[in-house]
This record gives sequence, C-alpha cells and structure tokens, in this order.
Amino acid sequence: MAVIEELTGELARLPGIGRKTAQRLTYHLLKRPAEEVRRLARAIEAVADRVRACSRCGNLSESDPCAYCTNPRRDQSILCVVEEASDIEAIERTGQYRGLYHVLGGRLSPLDGIGPAELSIASLMERLGNGEIVREVIVATNPSVEGEATALYIHKLVQPLGIRVTRLARGLPVGGDLEYADGVTIAEALAGRREL
Amino acid sequence: MPLIRDDAIILQSLAYSETSKILRLLTRSHGVRSVIAKGAMRPRSRFCGLLEPFTVGIATIYLKEGRELQTLGGFDLLRSGQSLGRDLLRFGGASLLAELIVRTAVEEHQPGLYHRLLRALDRIECAPAAELESVLLAEAWGLVADLGYAPILDHCTACGRALDPDEDGVFDYPAGGVRCRECAGGVTGRTVPAAARANLSRLVAGVAVALERTRGYWILLDRFIAHHVADGATIRSLPFLAEVLQP
Repeated sequence: MAVIEELTGELARLPGIGRKTAQRLTYHLLKRPAEEVRRLARAIEAVADRVRACSRCGNLSESDPCAYCTNPRRDQSILCVVEEASDIEAIERTGQYRGLYHVLGGRLSPLDGIGPAELSIASLMERLGNGEIVREVIVATNPSVEGEATALYIHKLVQPLGIRVTRLARGLPVGGDLEYADGVTIAEALAGRREL
Repeated sequence: MPLIRDDAIILQSLAYSETSKILRLLTRSHGVRSVIAKGAMRPRSRFCGLLEPFTVGIATIYLKEGRELQTLGGFDLLRSGQSLGRDLLRFGGASLLAELIVRTAVEEHQPGLYHRLLRALDRIECAPAAELESVLLAEAWGLVADLGYAPILDHCTACGRALDPDEDGVFDYPAGGVRCRECAGGVTGRTVPAAARANLSRLVAGVAVALERTRGYWILLDRFIAHHVADGATIRSLPFLAEVLQP
C-alpha cells in the first residue's frame, strides 16, 4: 500500500488535483498495462532531466538556445515579452507571430515581494543592448493591474534605446456577448476603441 | 451558511490551482477577509477581469465562522483599480497601503478603515504628478497612525517634556518617536530638525506637505514601520517604491 499512497500523494501535489482525483488517477494507472505506465514514468523523467530554461530567452526547452532563438526563419527584429513560458504556447497557437520571445518569469507585485530584480528584466536589457537587431518589443504581460505596471516598467527602460514598444490590445473577446462581459473589460474596450 | 453582502476593496489577489484565485478583501463591516473565488480565471467566469488589486465592489461572501478562508459568491464592480497600474509610483503607493493593511489585518470591524483606504486610493489616482510623492507620504503616514502606530512627535519619548516648535529632536525607533537633545545620548536614529518634525506631524495627520527633499521621510517611514508595524520584517512594497523614485 505504501507505493500507492506515495503516488497518490505525489499526484495530489499537482495543480488542480485534489486527494480524491489523485486516488482515481492512481487506480486508473494500476489498471493500465504496465508498459503504458512505464512510458508515462519515462516521459516525466525525461522532462525533469532534459528540459531547461533557454539561457537567451528563458523559454523551457530541451535545447539551449531553444528552437525559437535558433530558428533563422523567425523575425529577429521583433521580441515578444511574456510572463511565463506557457504564454509562448498560447501565442504560437495563433500562428500570427513569427518573432522571438523573452520570458520574464512573473510580473511585478510589490506586495508579494516580486520586484524588477526577481524578474528577467536585466537579461532582457542585456539582449537589447547586445547588438540584437530588435526594432520592436511587444509587451504581452497579462491585462491585470500588475501586468500593466510590468509593461510600463519595461516601456520606461526600453523606450530610451530607440526601440518601438507596443502592448497587446485589450477588450471584448471575439465571439463574446457584450451583455455578459464584466464592467472592467467593457471599460477597457471603450478606452481602447479605435476608428473604423 | 450565512451569506453576507458588503462593500470591499481587493487588497491582494493570488492565483490558486488551475482556475481559482485567493483574495484578501478589506470589507466595510467585516474587517479583512480571505476568500476563494472558484473558477475566477476561467475565460467565461463571471469574475473575469474583476478580481484585481485595488478594485472596489460589493462582495457576496458565504461565511462559515471558524474558517480562515471563506467563499466568494459574487463581486459587483463599483470601481476598477486598473488605472493605478498605469503609473508605477501610484501602483507602488497603492501596494504599500494594501500591504500595511494586510500585515495588520484583523477580522473584526475596523470603523473608518475601509473609507480611509477608499479615499486614499482616490487621492493617489487623482493627484497631480508634482504632488504625488507628498500625497503618498501623507497617506502612508496617515494610515500608519490610523492603524494605531502614530509616532510621538510633540514631546520627548524619554523624559516626556513637550518639545518647543523650533526644537530639533532625534528619532528613537524602538520608542516610536523623537527624543529631545538632552535625552538623545546613545540613540542612533536620524536627527529630525524642527521643520522636518512639523512636516512629519502634518503628514501623520494626512496632509500632503510640499517637500523639497523627501528621502528622509521615506527612510523614517521604512524604519518606523519595520519596528512597529511589521515586527522587524521588511515591507516589500517599500524597496519597489524606492526604485521607482530613483531619478
């Protein structure tokens, strides 16, 4: 029973998984063929052993520099700054962006003790000052109060370098319904309205 | 499980699990409460966009006595705090006030505290850039005083003698105020000239004073808070403010 308990305990530590779900997953795995379970274990082990943060952009990758940084077909003159490596996946899914990335590792939150020194802002400035031919920095931090302050902080640092700094637009979601949108989102959409 | 509806200001918002958020709320009648907003980060959540720091609204809370974490049932927006994120100094100042309240949080009703923070956020949001730093100092010192930690500035903390208006003093952090020159031997705190003492008194009363140099008032605030409000711990918003204030 000890190993079952151990696996249940480990699974329960994952985000979004409570004790009960962890137990269900454990018993589900026990019912699967042993080779299938070993394959899962090997995949987890491989992720732990091989995936590292890219020394250039901070993306999580098996290679260093990562595939985005070394891809010559990507536009080297545009840099998209995101809070977390998982945000890269969301932007890539759009198929609309062909530039490079930079992962901050969070956002400014003085109350939680996260200041500029806790984020990869110094390495961003190093990249921009190191002869990388960047013409535009897109700040894609989350549209929250803290994400906004982070964007502003980056803008203050980058703009004097003569690099264009842009921010992702905010407003109503495509296919959404105005009636069900919250007040803050509608207010932001109104503030960010544009000419037709 | 009783349901309460109360005006609330979001002090802190933390992601919890995949889609939920844990919030610290300053309510008008129920003190500071921690609540979980289940599913708040789902794209179609009714909370979407609302549960950000400094947002003011009417919170519906399922209250279960004896539990530290209550459940948020709804949040009707009264005022968004988004604009505070568009100025680093305003953002840092609002964070400082929120952190001071979180540090001293109690669940009991604290009369006036809700309105004090509401007014302070208003003032920080609307202050002209040239006056903003003084407003932040006044709101921070004023809040410290309202939380019950007002520094003693009108008489010596050692001998009790009333200080003359034109008399310099030396700040004694552990004693929580100034000492007269005669009692200042061995005290390592900053010298507080008479004019600075008068300015500090006005700041503690919440009056934004036009200050030529502000650094000394920030240092006093930092050390005073560390001694009296934060039990020696660092107030995390202050280093951020110091960085933003750097020319």
